[in-house]
Amino acid sequence: MINEDKLKLMTSIALFEKREGRHLKAARNYFRSDYISRCLLRSFIGYTLCWLMVAALSIVCRAEDFLAILSLAEMESYITEYAAGYLIGLAVYMILTLIVSYKQYSHSARVMRIYLARLKRLEKRYEFQQRVKELSKEGKRS
Amino acid sequence: MIQLFVFREKLRSFYGKYDAFITPVIRFAAGFLTFHLINGNLGYRTSLNSVVVELALALVCCLLPYGVMAFLAGMMILAHLSSASLEMTVVMLVFLLLILILYYSFQPEDSYLLLLTPILFHFRIPYVLPLLLGLSGGLASVVPVCCGTALFYMLQYMKQNAGLMPNDGSVELVQRYLQIVKSLLSNRLMLVMMATCAMGILVVYLIRRLSVSYAWGIAIIAGALTQLGCVFFGDFLFDVSVPMGELLLGLFVSILAAAVYHFMMLAVDYSRTEYVQFEDDDYYYYVKAVPKIAVSAPDVKVQRIGRKNSRPAENAER
Repeated sequence: MINEDKLKLMTSIALFEKREGRHLKAARNYFRSDYISRCLLRSFIGYTLCWLMVAALSIVCRAEDFLAILSLAEMESYITEYAAGYLIGLAVYMILTLIVSYKQYSHSARVMRIYLARLKRLEKRYEFQQRVKELSKEGKRS
Repeated sequence: MIQLFVFREKLRSFYGKYDAFITPVIRFAAGFLTFHLINGNLGYRTSLNSVVVELALALVCCLLPYGVMAFLAGMMILAHLSSASLEMTVVMLVFLLLILILYYSFQPEDSYLLLLTPILFHFRIPYVLPLLLGLSGGLASVVPVCCGTALFYMLQYMKQNAGLMPNDGSVELVQRYLQIVKSLLSNRLMLVMMATCAMGILVVYLIRRLSVSYAWGIAIIAGALTQLGCVFFGDFLFDVSVPMGELLLGLFVSILAAAVYHFMMLAVDYSRTEYVQFEDDDYYYYVKAVPKIAVSAPDVKVQRIGRKNSRPAENAER
């Protein structure tokens, strides 16, 4: 026979998983420090790639200036300018990544707690049903 | 007014019932519109320039997330531009990759905003997006809306200049890149519109979170006025020209759309607001409870009683 209580609980868990499943991934698969490190590493690689693309485009656009470089000091000033741009941008982007990934993980952990609590309720429901079955069997024997 | 609430409930139950069909249809329509507009505005590659291609791509998109639609739209733009100018293709590719890597690795679900913003700009109602996003989303939506705005003006520039760009080497490669990048970065209208959208989202978001009565309504009006002010400010300071009729009509339509959204999502009765005060071990609570206006759709069942059955009885009497 269909147990309505259990069915309702399972439906609510399935709906919750469908709605929040995306957010569960971080807390389910990683520790906080691992998740944040992973995000930082990904951001570092992504930012470096983007900087390389923008720098390449910028160098093409400023090709005439670069061809007119006559001294080492001038070359150094250009390199310093690009390196400073890279480092400042990287620092800002890393701080943003840190804040966003920390918040994402906190949200994921909160969602995970709710999800586990619901699963526990379902498990208790199963245990209760099993116990009722066992008791009814024992009652029939006696 | 009651009729409107009944209509809202009917609409909600209709959507709840046919959600599985309505969502793919909306995705299909959005996909078709996106690809059709790209083909209509760029259309340099003739092999892509057909309704069959648009329908096929829209069909693919209707079953997949909006991210796939954004990806396909990006590929289509690059394919069209590659037929017209290599330099523009490179600049557009760099721009799209920057957005993809720097922003969408965090918020992949916002990709629909990147498509929606240029579409609304095309229909001259870009002001609707800041109002709706300020009411529904967070501050992070400023980034995709600004990127979408930049994308629209880049596409507009490329549409106007791709045919004029000499590809025969008469102008040096470096000069061509320099011309494109300078033109894009010095587009004041683009910068003003980006600032307008960002300010609109910020103002609406901050006001609708205030604990005051009619916060949503005030936020909509304040957001529209902020956008109007930003455009006037840009006109005064940077000498950008936005047609007055178009601006006012766009704002009017935006306010109307935001009001409809407000009605559908948050219809509350401020006249029945209650203030409750209580405490527990750690805190004092001062709660303001505003009741929602709930009207259930009338479930009318017409039952015809015994017309068919009464005829034999009548015949028998005769």
